[in-house]
Amino acid sequence: MTKQLGFHFDASACTACKACAIACKDRSSLPVGINWRKVYEYGGGEWITDPNHKDLMSPSNVFVYSVSAACMHCEKPICTEVCPVSAITKGENGIVTIDKDKCIGCRYCEWACPYGAPQFNEDMRYMTKCDFCQDLQAKGLNPVCVDACPMRALEVGELDELQAKYGNLSAIEPLPTADLTAPSLVITPHKNAQASGQGTGHILSLEES
Amino acid sequence: MNTQEWALLTFTILGQLAAGALLVLMVVRSYATAKAGLKEADQMTDGPLFMVVPIMGLALLASLLHLNNLGNVFKAVPNLGSSWISREVVISGIFVVAAALYTFLQWRKVGSNGLRTVIGWVTVVIGLVQTYAMGMVYMLRTQPAWNTPATPITFFVTSLLLGVLAVAVALVINYNSIQTKDAKIAEKQLELLRSVLQGIAISAIILLGIEFLVLPVYMAYLATQGAAALESLQMMTGAYGVALVIRLLFVFVGAGLLATYLYRNASSAGKEKAMATLVYSAFVLVLAGEVMGRFLFYATHVRIGL
Repeated sequence: MTKQLGFHFDASACTACKACAIACKDRSSLPVGINWRKVYEYGGGEWITDPNHKDLMSPSNVFVYSVSAACMHCEKPICTEVCPVSAITKGENGIVTIDKDKCIGCRYCEWACPYGAPQFNEDMRYMTKCDFCQDLQAKGLNPVCVDACPMRALEVGELDELQAKYGNLSAIEPLPTADLTAPSLVITPHKNAQASGQGTGHILSLEES
Repeated sequence: MNTQEWALLTFTILGQLAAGALLVLMVVRSYATAKAGLKEADQMTDGPLFMVVPIMGLALLASLLHLNNLGNVFKAVPNLGSSWISREVVISGIFVVAAALYTFLQWRKVGSNGLRTVIGWVTVVIGLVQTYAMGMVYMLRTQPAWNTPATPITFFVTSLLLGVLAVAVALVINYNSIQTKDAKIAEKQLELLRSVLQGIAISAIILLGIEFLVLPVYMAYLATQGAAALESLQMMTGAYGVALVIRLLFVFVGAGLLATYLYRNASSAGKEKAMATLVYSAFVLVLAGEVMGRFLFYATHVRIGL
């Protein structure tokens, strides 16, 4: 049995096709407004005076990359900490899940989680979020987001092993700094990736995310 | 702001008002007892004491509106180990029960005065813990605009400011009703009331000073706390700038100007009508100002991350 499952995300491979987000939405029949996995396009740049034409402005340092994010099944999950009725727990394999029979719908976890993972289902009146496709994983299958990715940018595995393989980076912009909740995530950064909290760009896909 | 946040606004404002009012009533009661004896103190505060429980009851009702799945409430096991919202709920429940008990004992004069006074002060402490717990609920490390000592400090200032002025209103109403019943008792009460209102006016001015001191320090602090905090600050000075100014103006006029007039008015006899008007308008203005302040609190927080 694994101690803590985690995701590896390869930002250098991601093309922002959003197949992961769609596969997730499809599998769990998520209603409009709820997306357990989202792909954020992050970019920026500036205008400088064109060196060849002093009266013209040219774009400079233009960059864009994308980050696919869902619940990070954190090692220090703030959602379980703050839930007034212990409806959110960190269970087997380190997977963080919501017990809908306990949730009172106060939405406090929504305020707390820096990944926007717990999302409120207006019809069912309780919080929902990514459960790491734990039923599929129990059968030895991958979460659907992992298998949907045409670039193989997502991978699931034991966090220790993923870290040994890919390093310890677990935050780039626009993700929050890792010290807040210790996400179970390993990132292979894009060449233009910026450190969390020190970014110069902004999220470009706001309406989708 | 959505329905849920309005529910929380109502809960925190009324809960803090109730806790503050009980504290002020206990102080007024000790003062009145020392100055004019137990009978006068009872005359003065027994009536106003009845406001605490209904206000706290309303607060708790509002807090239920904030929940979306009431069916699960009774199945809920409080997460007292780490969740401040849990602690807040439990302490609020204890507070309303303790306040109801104290009000009942005081009303029916059950037990000795000493025992009742002890129960009253214990309830005051529970109320203070409740205000503290309300503040801690918002001390989330992912919410920089909330995660500062300014949150509990402001909650306490709101509690006391609304407490002193709500008690002032209740004392005036109580005095008016005594006056229609028995002019002789009212005469004795009036002198006491005037000195209490002077104290209340001074307290309001001091609390206003604290509020006006905390705000600029808080805003300057937000400017240094990263992108999310900066975004909150920009909302306060930009989109919600006008609301912030109106909020400050309301509180300034209510707890500053009107309180100053109230102090002067209460210092000399024969101006009871004006005194009452000043008390009512100061309370209404400060209540409006504090509700707006709490509205801004919920409207301008920005979470770190996605």
